[in-house]
Amino acid sequence: MEIVVCVKRVPQTEEAEVIVDSSGADIVKDRLTYDMNESDVYALEEAVLLKEKFGGTVTLVSIGPQETDDVLRMGLAKGGDVALRLWDPCFVHSDGYVTASILARAMKEISFDLVLTGCIATDDGRSQVGGMLAGLLGIPHASYVTRVEIEERTVTAHSELEAGLIQVNRMPMPALLTIQTGINEPRYASLISIKRATSKEIRVLTMDDLGLEEATVGGMGSTTRIMKLAPPEVGKRAEILKGTPEQVSDTLTEILKKKGMI
Amino acid sequence: MGGIITPNLEIRDIIVEAGAEDAYKCFQCGKCMSLCPWYQVETVLFPVYRIPQAVRLGIVTGSDDKDEIAKEVEEMFRCVGCEACTQRCPVGVSVPNVVRAIRRILVEYGTCPSELKAVVSKIYNVGNPLGEPRERRTNWAEGLNIPTYKSDMEFLYFPCCLSAYDSRGKEVARATAKLLKQANVSFGILGAESCCCEAIRRVGAEKTFCEVAKSNIELFHSAGVRKILTTSPHCYSTLKTEYPELGADFEVVHHTQLLCRLLQEGKLVPEKSLPHKVVYHDPCTLGRHSGVYDEPREVLRSIPGLQLIEVENFCREYSVCCGAGGGGMWLDWPMDERISNVRLEQVLATGAELLAVACPYCLQMFEDTVKSMNLKLTVKDVSELLVESL
Amino acid sequence: MSAISVLAEHRRGELRDVTFEMLVRGRELAEKRGAALIAILLGHQVDNFAQRLSEYADRVILVDHPDLIHFNPEIYRKVLTSLTKNGRPVLVLIGHTAFGVDVAPGLSVDLNLALVTDCVDIRFEGDQLIAVRQMYGGKLNAEVSFAEGEGLATIRPGSCAVRPLGLHGEIVKADYPAGEPPRREFVHYIEAPPGEVDITQADVIVAVGRGLKEKANLSIVEELASSLGGVLACSRPIVDAGWLPKDRQVGSSGKTVKPKLYIAVGISGAFQHVTGMKGSDTIIAINKDPNAPVFNEADYGIVEDLFKVVPVLKGKIVELRSS
Repeated sequence: MEIVVCVKRVPQTEEAEVIVDSSGADIVKDRLTYDMNESDVYALEEAVLLKEKFGGTVTLVSIGPQETDDVLRMGLAKGGDVALRLWDPCFVHSDGYVTASILARAMKEISFDLVLTGCIATDDGRSQVGGMLAGLLGIPHASYVTRVEIEERTVTAHSELEAGLIQVNRMPMPALLTIQTGINEPRYASLISIKRATSKEIRVLTMDDLGLEEATVGGMGSTTRIMKLAPPEVGKRAEILKGTPEQVSDTLTEILKKKGMI
Repeated sequence: MGGIITPNLEIRDIIVEAGAEDAYKCFQCGKCMSLCPWYQVETVLFPVYRIPQAVRLGIVTGSDDKDEIAKEVEEMFRCVGCEACTQRCPVGVSVPNVVRAIRRILVEYGTCPSELKAVVSKIYNVGNPLGEPRERRTNWAEGLNIPTYKSDMEFLYFPCCLSAYDSRGKEVARATAKLLKQANVSFGILGAESCCCEAIRRVGAEKTFCEVAKSNIELFHSAGVRKILTTSPHCYSTLKTEYPELGADFEVVHHTQLLCRLLQEGKLVPEKSLPHKVVYHDPCTLGRHSGVYDEPREVLRSIPGLQLIEVENFCREYSVCCGAGGGGMWLDWPMDERISNVRLEQVLATGAELLAVACPYCLQMFEDTVKSMNLKLTVKDVSELLVESL
Repeated sequence: MSAISVLAEHRRGELRDVTFEMLVRGRELAEKRGAALIAILLGHQVDNFAQRLSEYADRVILVDHPDLIHFNPEIYRKVLTSLTKNGRPVLVLIGHTAFGVDVAPGLSVDLNLALVTDCVDIRFEGDQLIAVRQMYGGKLNAEVSFAEGEGLATIRPGSCAVRPLGLHGEIVKADYPAGEPPRREFVHYIEAPPGEVDITQADVIVAVGRGLKEKANLSIVEELASSLGGVLACSRPIVDAGWLPKDRQVGSSGKTVKPKLYIAVGISGAFQHVTGMKGSDTIIAINKDPNAPVFNEADYGIVEDLFKVVPVLKGKIVELRSS
């Protein structure tokens, strides 16, 4: 089974200070550590588990400059076989659609049965590249997948809806699945797999290799653009509610009602 | 399980190159096993003595089974770096150094408990493992009128991140500052510094350690710092013995050493009696690593009323780690798997009501354990007791 | 006349709230733009839904077909594309829900319409269309423009209050287009098994700490949690004591949560815990120690014995819910 896993290198911002830079439309990145996007890690593990079960190869694909190799190498050490990095300086500021188009173009050369992506990127939180990629490749897909079953050429995917409800769908391969965290337990890279990974190649494809035009990529080619970034308005910290238990409960209930929590 | 082990010499070389040369010295006598604090925790088997051997055979995380690897990785991050093993090894093998070399390789590929990844991230981002904003680093000194360090002052006071940001830890920094002011010590604080990064070096994040440590060294040089006073033995040890690798050249003093000297010089006079039985817990990094055993005891002995008791067989260089070293502070072992429980049971068995510590990590670990085990024990830093007695 | 379209979302016999939130928002946009507000309803035997929607739109376009009983993004895309033959709306709103995320990206590709997802706000500024969405886990808001002043947006549920619009939209039936059957097939739904809770997915969390004193007291806090439709979580000592399983632990060695509402009961706010819940939208702390560090992280605080406040609070919430 040939599986392609699309991964993204993202800054770890969950417990970090995120500051808007001088352009006003991006963040200061030099004191941030980077890692593979969380749901991509699960997607990769799912691909490796399927490979272990059915045989085949796992190809990692990512868009990014040289630093992205860190993430690809990590992916190769976690069970990936081949890595592809797509990059040209013109790719910066590509929106979701352009990102998906670049990926789709690279995948024209690859024969695959299954494409796995993370369900959401922790930096932009868009959840759109996977679905768009499926649309561009003309293949069926399912989102927020928490369980994958394969029989012959049919994929059965459990998609997480709201409040714990699951929708089960079936589709023929080739198909694309966006993978939800928690679907499996990602493996650690071991010293042996790290050693093996050092001899695996990371192929780099440029804009020319991909046959793309400058006008269709990056900020220039995007139809949506981030104009401004700003911290959300901060409310007052710890307004202490005064009064008897009865009174504070009344006040708090009102507050919760206004926030639509009741 | 069972069968022939196939050595992997390439892996051995990778690990040794990352800093595990000690592994070659080990002849498997097993002495380290009985001294390791994990040995005292009945529910855990931490095979210290096997680690150098595993490195020599290149079979560290050599399995293809992902569950076995997960278990081995967990084991690799159990080591608290207390160096009880190194202390008594006939050939001086430092298992913590061997473990650190392994961790260095693993951490680069993300093989590391996520809690530790988060700590490295936070230190890199805001200069402290708690993730608190940089600007608040000197908030602990509110109301104490402590001047900003200038090059004509004797000491730069470098409180540990925990002493600077944590509400309980702050009390130690404040106590220390009060003592320094009382004794008219010339000192100042900065606030732009980052964590000493001892913990992240132990955890294997070597690149981050070098980058942040260098930024500290640059800051200290440009501020004209010559002498640094630390609250934490970890800061003490790292600034003193590891920062010189990166070009630092400072004199580093631990607060118990300075307090001892000030008492001897008569600049601090404890008057109030504190009638308690107290055990002094030798922090691994201050005791075993740095050889400082007597000064903290002198400080305690100078306080009227205090009755200093030692934990028989487990004091001074045999002190049992609190469990916070080597990243242990940020990991969560189950209730029945904690070294700190073992240590406190030893302390309580002496009949003491008070435990004196000289390290912010020990303070945090022991106070947490006291609360979760509901023990009748008060934990205080040596400086806090001295302040109470003035 | 240009149109603002809203895709109605329904599941298992119910129209979902986000539909009405989008219609209310759509109304404001339509008025500003001088456009018509259109609700698009795809389903089978859903006339009652169409009736309800007509109170919230200028027009309801209804496509009724057995193929539309269960949501299928391929079918939805086919139908919606055929509807645009009569004119492209300037803006299509879809809920940022599991269904929405499943259909919007593909639809964007099919219609060649720019997509911005998970919007908390969206507005016209002259000819410009601007959406506001969160990035970096909610730490920053981004203003995103649609280059062509038209587009597709998925709207975050709960980002707009619903109010009656008092409209009387006409219900227009549109044909179900012929075409290839979808490759993806709906198999069935699976209900969430009881007792398995992922606190990181909860919108409301009530967390309990050492202040609880005894395991038996958990029920007090559990009742508060259920009254708000939330889940129970805790700080580490509670897990240590064996009162709750580890998967309920919030903190640096437990889980990091970002619910809409986090109520910390009897939790002091030590850094190991706080770091796991700092990102919550609204934090309420109840602790009898006025100096508890948790009050530095909370939006609202109650300095009171939890045993006195929590039962009263729960009572009031239940009362309000049932009225």
